[in-house]
Amino acid sequence: MIGDSLIGRSMMRIGRSAALVAAGAIALTACGGSGGDENSGAAASGKPRIKLVINGGLGDKSFFDSAYEGLKKAEKDLGYELKVVELGSDRTKWEPGFEDAASADDYDILAAGTFEVTDYIGELAPQFPDKKFWLFDAPVDYTGKNGTCSNKCENVYSVTFKQNEGGYLAGFLAEKLVAEKSLKGAESLKKVGVMPGVKIPVIEDFVVGFKAGFKEAGGRNSDVLVQYVGGDKPFGDPAKGKEISTAMYGQGAALVWPVAGLSGLGTFESAVSAERYTFGVDSDQYQTLTDQAQKDTVVTSILKNVGNALYKAAQDDRKDSLKYGAVDTVGLADDAVGYVDDDHFKELVPQKTRTELQEAADKVKSGSVTVPSAF
Amino acid sequence: MNSVIDVVFSSAFLAAVLRVATPYLLAAFGGLVAERAGISNIALEGQMLSAACTGALVAGYSGSVAVGALCGVAVAVLLGLLLAALRLELGADAIIAGIGLNLLASGGTAYAVYSLLDDKGGTSGLKSGSLPTVTLPGIESIPVVGEVLSGQNMVTWLAFLAAPFVAWLFYRTRFGFRLRAVGEMPDAAASVGIPVRHVQYAGLALSGALAGLAGVFLSMGYVSFFVRDMTAGRGFIALAAVFLGGLRPWGVFLAALGFGAAEALAVQLGTMDVPPQLVSTIPYAMTLVALALYAWRRKRRGLTQETAASL
Repeated sequence: MIGDSLIGRSMMRIGRSAALVAAGAIALTACGGSGGDENSGAAASGKPRIKLVINGGLGDKSFFDSAYEGLKKAEKDLGYELKVVELGSDRTKWEPGFEDAASADDYDILAAGTFEVTDYIGELAPQFPDKKFWLFDAPVDYTGKNGTCSNKCENVYSVTFKQNEGGYLAGFLAEKLVAEKSLKGAESLKKVGVMPGVKIPVIEDFVVGFKAGFKEAGGRNSDVLVQYVGGDKPFGDPAKGKEISTAMYGQGAALVWPVAGLSGLGTFESAVSAERYTFGVDSDQYQTLTDQAQKDTVVTSILKNVGNALYKAAQDDRKDSLKYGAVDTVGLADDAVGYVDDDHFKELVPQKTRTELQEAADKVKSGSVTVPSAF
Repeated sequence: MNSVIDVVFSSAFLAAVLRVATPYLLAAFGGLVAERAGISNIALEGQMLSAACTGALVAGYSGSVAVGALCGVAVAVLLGLLLAALRLELGADAIIAGIGLNLLASGGTAYAVYSLLDDKGGTSGLKSGSLPTVTLPGIESIPVVGEVLSGQNMVTWLAFLAAPFVAWLFYRTRFGFRLRAVGEMPDAAASVGIPVRHVQYAGLALSGALAGLAGVFLSMGYVSFFVRDMTAGRGFIALAAVFLGGLRPWGVFLAALGFGAAEALAVQLGTMDVPPQLVSTIPYAMTLVALALYAWRRKRRGLTQETAASL
């Protein structure tokens, strides 16, 4: 009985809150509508205008920050105008957010990233044929078979990354480090850990590459521990990231490689208390971390240079040589993926291993080794 | 299967259960106190988040972990009082006001961090330190128990002490009796001279303090920095524990501990060859099983009472 009345009450509450939300939305649209017209037409300066729409927020110290840096550099060097729209982590706001961003006439190029927005771009691009769209880290469906891209997305440039090649080098290096007992304080350990955010193809690609590299260097697959962060905020829950990393170090991992955005910050803390090692991901995390003890755990970072790829796109577009209507896949050979080779790396990794890693990278670049992929 | 059993009885796992359960326990007791005072505190999530953010920021700038933690808890108390004021003075719906406070906390903390540190992600660039851990001389050297108990954060100890404290408060103190009376039937409580509003304000302040402690633990115990929306739904899981525990202190204690254990188990099992999607359902599946068991027991008890009455 108590349950019934509770449900009844909460239904009423939901009804009332829905009304409130609706009222708020109307008020907001009204405000938005009145301010939108000022920006219509071409830019006063005549510069091409890029609008970076982020399904999430800046400050992730890796993926979106890198994209932003690349476009900011394009703004400075190549004469673009840049505008950033952050849609936040609430997924229900993404689709309307993209619709609003695309229908406002204050941009020439709309840039967006991650596989989660492919359908929005695929639907919006045909509606705004005069605009250009750049999609990074995922391709739109150029065939138009799944209902999007009715114009074959001929105004969309997609760029994807061979993160499996970065993962391959990480795995190769990890096995060499444990096999040669190069990591001080972890000489007796044979295992290594990978902590991806969620099991989705673009993240799994790192893991598949890692395992392939680990095996190539002579390791056994059973020595690679893989544990996903998952949950409500797979890329923003450092407490859970720390718990998982602590568990992996407890199970005998000499190093853990987080591929999980801000959740990875927990890994660096647990590495300090466990006195073990880590790899960084996407950007050079030796540079982005501030705590010296945490920096010291970072052997190298596997770079996925979203910003460079966007800067290159901006360069090509200025020369009218950017290929729209097709997907561009960049990897080790294009310097879009790689690893950090700094003084700290040289200090921790013996010369022999560094040479072997360089050789492995060269083989991938030349195409004599093909790294398996999750796609 | 053997390896699963090994994991469950390892001291590392038991220590992880205590750690993981800490924010659930504290926030759940916060939710319980408010619920028994007659105002649903759905803003637990926002109070945790605000406390986590304030704690890390103040500790970072003042250089004192204690001052940071106190300020964090104080902000959560203020949010509790604000919720009470919205409900009692302005007649707002507690659920809607709570949703509002959660949104305010999510946006407000991100804004505060951005305007102070120019970082949209969190305070990882600020050295703020963490609350001390408790090492117990003597117990430390006992094989399993020592490994589990020693070296836990002081907030974890507080979380486990919160259960007897809330039970004592509810059933052994005048304030507890008044609180429950006010929550059960405010008019009746008023008719015997209980200052209903004062009791409700006090209850919501206490609720906020407990949730604030949970938040402070996240940013100054578990890890040593704040990240945008780092509570990741823990406040809502705690709220589920309040009802799963049947609104009674020890029931809530078991429910919150159960959620912690399920999450710790998921973490430990994750590296074995179990699909990650399956592992991540463990806490939720456990909730459903527990709710079904609870309902089944209640129904049976109801049936036996009916048969007894008909005899």
